[in-house]
Formats: sequence, C-alpha cells, structure tokens
Amino acid sequence: MREDEADQWGAWMAAAQGGHGGAYRRLLGELRQWLLRYFARRLPPAQVEDAVQETLIAIHEKRHTYDPARPFRPWLAAVARYKWIDRLRAMGRERTDALPDTIGIEDHESGVTSAVLLRDLIARLKPAQQQAIRLVKLDGYSVEEASARTGQSPSLVKVNIHRGLKQLAAIVGQSPDDE
Amino acid sequence: MTSEYLLDELASGLTPVRSRSARRDGMVLGALAMVELALFVMMGCTRPDMGHAMTEPSFWWKLATLGLLATIGLATAVRSLDPSVAPHRGLRWTAWLAGSALLIGWGIDATHHASATLFARLEWRAGLACLFSMVMLSLPMLIALTVLMRRGAPAHRRESALAAGLGAAAWGAFVFFFRCGHDDPLYIVFWYGLGCGLTALAGRALLPLVTRW
Repeated sequence: MREDEADQWGAWMAAAQGGHGGAYRRLLGELRQWLLRYFARRLPPAQVEDAVQETLIAIHEKRHTYDPARPFRPWLAAVARYKWIDRLRAMGRERTDALPDTIGIEDHESGVTSAVLLRDLIARLKPAQQQAIRLVKLDGYSVEEASARTGQSPSLVKVNIHRGLKQLAAIVGQSPDDE
Repeated sequence: MTSEYLLDELASGLTPVRSRSARRDGMVLGALAMVELALFVMMGCTRPDMGHAMTEPSFWWKLATLGLLATIGLATAVRSLDPSVAPHRGLRWTAWLAGSALLIGWGIDATHHASATLFARLEWRAGLACLFSMVMLSLPMLIALTVLMRRGAPAHRRESALAAGLGAAAWGAFVFFFRCGHDDPLYIVFWYGLGCGLTALAGRALLPLVTRW
C-alpha cells in the first residue's frame, strides 16, 4: 500500500462515513484487491475469498470506528489482522478427518443434476428468498452472517428461508414427474 | 456470493455514521462515574468518621491507588476500542501500579503494630459484605463498558475485556472506599484485592463472548 494510496482511502472512508456511496464503492473495490493480496500470503487458497468477504463486512460494520483525523493504513491493517487471527482460530477448531484409501467415490452425475435442478428451482423464488436460502442452506452461513451480507434483518432472513422453502416444496409438488 | 455483488450490496445500502471518538466515550464514562458517586454521597452512604480517617496514611493510599487503577484501566479499555490501539501497555501500567500499591501497603502495615491475629484482622463477616458492595458498585461501569465495547472494534478482545474488568472493579472499589470504615492494610489488600480480582476475572471471561465482531 503506497502512502498516497492510503491517504486517498482515508478520504474515501471519511466520505463514506458521511453517506457517500460512490466513494465507498470505489474504496471497497480497492480494499478488496489489497485484502486478496494480504490473505493470499497468510491463508490456504480455499479460504482467501471467504476471509476477504468477512473482512469487508467487518470494515462495513465498524466503519464508524475509523477516525478521519488519523491514518487509514493502521486501522485497515488492524481489522485485517483481527479477521486473519479469527480465521486461524476457527481453522484450529475445525476437525479434519483423513479419508481412508479404500473409500469409494460415487458417480457425480446425480449431484450435478441436482445442483442444476436446484438452481433452476431457486431461481423461481423472490430475490430476497433466493439470497437467504443460498447463503444459509447451501453455503452454510449462519443467519447472522447472512443478515450482514444481505442487509436483511436476522428475523427477515429466517422468514425468507421459511417461505422460500415452502414455496419450493409447492413448486416441486406441482411439477410433473418427467421434468 | 461473489465479492463484486457483496461490494454493490454494501455500498448501495450505505447510511451515514458518526465517527467514534475515544474522548466522547471517556466523557460518557466520566459522567456515569460522577452520577454514581454523587448518588452514593447524597444517599448518605459515606463513613461518618471521614475527618478522622483523612489523618490516616492508609486513607490516602487507598484513595490514590483505587483512583489511579480506575483511571488507567478505564482509559486503557476505551482507547483499545479502536482496532489499531493495543491495550498491552496500559495493562502493564496497571500491573506495575498494583504491585507498587501492595509494597506501599506492606510498608504502612509494618508501622501498624497490630496485636490481633491475621485471621481476626480479616474480619470475615464484614469482609464479605464489603466484597458484595464493591462488586455491585462496579456493575454500572461494567455494563457501560460492555455497551461501548460492542459498538467499538477491539482487536485484542481478551485484553480489552481484562482492562474493562479492572477499570470497572477499581471504580466500584473507589466508590465503596467512601463508605468503608476499615483502615487495616491487611484487610484492604485482601478484600479489596479479592473484590477487584473477581470483577476483573468476570469481565475477562464474559466480555469477549458478547463483543465478537
């Protein structure tokens, strides 16, 4: 991160605190690139994108803690470091079991077909319901995380999941067997 | 969800926010402290022999130690709500101050020439009542700090929680000090130390659970 770049980011964040969406969008775009490089050096490749998104959400939720009178770089680095340590702790808690050599691998055809069908089915729901179901039921996020990512309240996320699944069941029930 | 989609979502729902200020947080805690102390005094909870107590070295030892511990602990906790500020230096100062206070207390006790046994000097019944009062008086500050911590972004949550617990505990003990009629350094070190330690440990154990971000 260059000095002038950090100063520019600080100015954009100050504007974002005042509600300037354009400056904030530019800032987030550049922060995303910086965070990708940051986490690529510190985490396994499969975890980088998730860590970047988590950190962007943390930056969004805690943007009021940035003091425009102070440099932006230490604030950003501290938030990124905090999320990095958080993720390392989570990795330490996750249990990984070694797969036995004799494990059988099933044909992926049914899985692929299910995924395509599910995608088509979900696409028939309202956008808010699609988002909630994708995040919580398919991607494994908690209701709180989905709430932060979608801007829906936790209660609304639950309602959208409930109504969306009910709607899905109705769609599947009405569909002919050969579909 | 792709990052681009996330960025659009975050930017499109942007609302203005008021930048957090450590000075403002400090003023909130200061106002709370003044209100609590004023209520305590107005309710007639101060010790009746205050004039005589002020002639004792242990009075000033307690006053200075608890006041400094509360100030440093609370300032450390509030400053550490900025993610770029670490609380470690403040905690080191707190430990240094507590150690110095113990040494000074031992010095005062050495000139005390107490005739009672150590066990009798601890006065268990009165001590337990003091302990309960100290913990209760620290709760308003601990609750206020919890609210501030949830709003802030402490990057060292455990250390910030410890600083908050210590600050709140020392403040509770400081308020109770105006009520407490015990001047024996051994009693003070044991019961005040226990009261502050319990509150600090509670803060250290509980605050990280509710301040995750």
